[in-house]
Amino acid sequence: MSKALTWPVAVVFALLAIVPLVPGVSRYHLLLAFDALLFGAIAMSLDLLIGYTGLVSFGHAAFYGLGAYATAVLLERGVLSLWACVAFAVVVVGLYALVVSYFATARRGIYFALLTLIFAEVVYTFFRYTQTFGGSDGIQGLPDAALFPGVLIDTPARKYYLVLVYLLFAWIVCRVVVASHFGRVLVAIRENEDRARFLGYNVQRYKMGACMISALLTGIGGAIYPIRSAFATPDLMVWTESGEFIISVMIGGLGTLVGPIIGGAFFTLLRDKVSSVVDWYFLVIGAVLVFIVLFMPRGLLGLRRLVRLRRGRAPA
Amino acid sequence: MDYLLAVLLPQLLHGLVFGAALGLLALGLTVIFGLLGVMNFAHGELFMLGAYAGLGVIGATGSFWTALVAAPLLVGLVAAVTEVATLRPVYHREPLYGLILTFGLALVFREGVRQLWGGDMRRILPPFPGSTPLLGMTYPDYRLFLLAASAVVLLSIWLFFTRTRAGIIVRAAVQDAEMLDGLGVNVRRVFTLTFAASGALAALAGLLLAPVFTVYPQMGVEMILLAFIVVILGGMGSLGGSVAAAFIIGVAQSLFSLWMNPQRVAIAIFGIMIVVLIVRPRGLYGREGVLE
Amino acid sequence: MRRLASLVMIVVVLAVAGVWMAAPALSQSKVVKIGDLGSKVGVFEGYGKYQTMFMQLAVEELNAKGGVLGHKIEMISEDDETKPAPAVRKAEKLILQDDVKLLMGAVSSGATMAVMDVTKKHKTIHWNAVSCAEFMRTTKFHKHYFSNQPDSRMQAAGLAKYIKDKMGKKVYIFYTDYAMGQSDGRQFKTALEKIGGEVVGVAGAPLDTKDFSPWFGAINQSNPDVLFLAFAGTDSLRLMTQLHSFGMTKKYKLAGIDCFLLQQDLPSIAESMEGFVQLAHYSSFNPDRNMQSVNERFKKKFGVDGNIMAGAYDGVMFWATAVEKVKSFDADKVAAALEGMCLDDTHIGKQCIRKEDHQVVMDMHLYRVEKGKNVPIARIPGSDTIGEPMVGKDPVEGFTWDIKKKN
Repeated sequence: MSKALTWPVAVVFALLAIVPLVPGVSRYHLLLAFDALLFGAIAMSLDLLIGYTGLVSFGHAAFYGLGAYATAVLLERGVLSLWACVAFAVVVVGLYALVVSYFATARRGIYFALLTLIFAEVVYTFFRYTQTFGGSDGIQGLPDAALFPGVLIDTPARKYYLVLVYLLFAWIVCRVVVASHFGRVLVAIRENEDRARFLGYNVQRYKMGACMISALLTGIGGAIYPIRSAFATPDLMVWTESGEFIISVMIGGLGTLVGPIIGGAFFTLLRDKVSSVVDWYFLVIGAVLVFIVLFMPRGLLGLRRLVRLRRGRAPA
Repeated sequence: MDYLLAVLLPQLLHGLVFGAALGLLALGLTVIFGLLGVMNFAHGELFMLGAYAGLGVIGATGSFWTALVAAPLLVGLVAAVTEVATLRPVYHREPLYGLILTFGLALVFREGVRQLWGGDMRRILPPFPGSTPLLGMTYPDYRLFLLAASAVVLLSIWLFFTRTRAGIIVRAAVQDAEMLDGLGVNVRRVFTLTFAASGALAALAGLLLAPVFTVYPQMGVEMILLAFIVVILGGMGSLGGSVAAAFIIGVAQSLFSLWMNPQRVAIAIFGIMIVVLIVRPRGLYGREGVLE
Repeated sequence: MRRLASLVMIVVVLAVAGVWMAAPALSQSKVVKIGDLGSKVGVFEGYGKYQTMFMQLAVEELNAKGGVLGHKIEMISEDDETKPAPAVRKAEKLILQDDVKLLMGAVSSGATMAVMDVTKKHKTIHWNAVSCAEFMRTTKFHKHYFSNQPDSRMQAAGLAKYIKDKMGKKVYIFYTDYAMGQSDGRQFKTALEKIGGEVVGVAGAPLDTKDFSPWFGAINQSNPDVLFLAFAGTDSLRLMTQLHSFGMTKKYKLAGIDCFLLQQDLPSIAESMEGFVQLAHYSSFNPDRNMQSVNERFKKKFGVDGNIMAGAYDGVMFWATAVEKVKSFDADKVAAALEGMCLDDTHIGKQCIRKEDHQVVMDMHLYRVEKGKNVPIARIPGSDTIGEPMVGKDPVEGFTWDIKKKN
């Protein structure tokens, strides 16, 4: 991590950490902040795939939902340990991601988008119609998870800190990947796949790697969700949810990592506020997407950094 | 034997009809992708718009048959305008923008329709409500009509692609779009017309199926996923492959619904796709290298 | 410079979002809020809309008399998208942010049960006027939950005998495959078999099925006398249209659950619904004096007839009466006051909340659809349908979907 960015990052996380202590911040606000930061973190992990590797995943909600069900299944049976849930989610999502990424990266171009979409749809259909997992109502009424035996993650403040730790973890992983040799090859693949191949890189393996990392980060995010919501439902995996992740990345700005966090947070807050008042917010979202693609492909923070990268400067 | 006639055959018929509609959709998708290089996520919405346009026309004129002609034309117009205004600027950009753009368009169309007509389901009454005793079961006449109509439409399309000059050019261009330019054809106009035509076809399918499935904003979403599977199965760039795969999927879905929980049918269909992908990655009739 | 600009933009965006989020509600003197949670769009839209309307009627009438405990009642409506997840989110918002003292909802049984977890955790008075899965007054019950919707067990108790005696012994049960429909399927199968009826087949179709014809072959093959249908909303509309086009509405006798179809939707499929029998507590075509009085009031305000969502009106009235009685909004006190409370002049006459499982005991009518109107054919006393309280007990213990083959 370059020095230039650690100070602002540390400040931001410190500020975020004292939010629960600010007077006037209610339980409801903390839960909302939880949703916003979770969504932002997942959008960031998706950016690794879309912005850095150039692969559009339309099925990211499946990684998210699988992680959630993994936790839900354990909590339902009385396994309350947070670590067990996360570990189980990693295994489940990892296996699924392995299969998906293998098939999706086997051919070029839009195959990836189509196959991630179709796989996600099947996962959704499976969970929606399988009664063992609660069918369309999902698994509900889950107990609180435990950090250590006896220490429950039960108050909104504790849940908030959990997601903050997750965000920090995801951020570090993404920064490390992006700054590494692996990350640079990903960018090379995005820029010109053939050239990367001629240079001797096993392109499919790199693509799979990027997909796995992104999927696992998202899956861990999904694993945390039932701790806040006390349920896991198939609707977490519906393809429009994948679309919302993509929207967050686009709003925030491709290839910037920070942008999608803000995009995701902004989108969550917007959705919560607006959907109570008006039911056409999806129309606005769609229009915003079209608008962004046509006139503002840079999103809020933009592709500036990628442009800088292309000109040979080291990533900031 | 009784089972065969009373239960199996009607399902088979239904599968053929559904497969035909699916084929119209998949055909449009493949052509647009081959020609324009864009995977149109909004294609299902054009299907849906056809049904709603039909609702509007029937509301104004009271005639289903007028709607059958007018609705596809209207949707074709909408498609043409959309292509010129939003798709043209992104042809030269990275393909991911086209994907996200059409995804956004799909949202706009779907939600726009929901705002205008409301989210609940609307019904289009079949133009003739009778039913015929067919093989032990009473089969609605309209579904029989659908069978005939879809056969006619597919036949016409086949004739277009094999017997007319325009059709042959489009078919060749789907394989190699650059060639169009070399032939001295007005590329932009062909793109717009093709997009409009595929939209009109989708709309026709939507309107034809509407009396059976009813009209609701999500109807396009459900079809498009199957259409994607069909396109992958049939092989990108192969028109015949799309249609063949569509019938296979349509019939498979129908028949599977009899034997397994209709809910699990989607998983079974998907399983077929995976097996084909493993055994024959380019699809039934696909060609190598068509995806780039 | 660019980085500074983007940082500024970030801060601005977050600040705007934060301020917007935290914007306090306009403070008014002496206002109490109640929540209306239900499906405002989608397959159950009709039920959600009428819930809102009936609640508005109640709120208006109460406010005209000075509100409740001197407080003006303000109603906040939220859409749960007919799914548990948004239902929970909206319930949390209503309870934590809007501080509602009464939560009415939801429509879909799945959503209602999910919301029950929230109202239990935050101790909010929760009234259910339409969801009919059998778990709400048994395994999921909590002491702040109340309902005047006859659940599937009550409906089965009231309707099964009529079906077997007057319609036919062989019944095919076709239900919508989620909480409500499964519950109806189970209870009706149990009830019918207990009194000697024969269930010749059962099948479930997913919520929002577009084409029901794949199931028709099996139905025809099992050759029933009666087709019992447990669907609701737009699914019912579609199902009846398709059944009719395949000639099955004339071939079999039809019966179903109380929320199968809202009266407003009846005229469009009147022909296919002819002869349909259900057990319900409301019909605008019932000449009963009480029923018509409520219907008139509703019609005067909204211009349309009422329907079974009148239960939501009663729920608000019960709550208001209880609050006045204990002079407090405290959930525990109100809940205690509600137990055993009766309202006398509701649309169905007397309604009393039973202490053990907070279920309202009330009479109902058997209705048959004749020329697009459901007309009453018999009155069933509340004591016949209420069944024994089973709080905490599993209502489906020992149940099996297996069909007992008879020759």
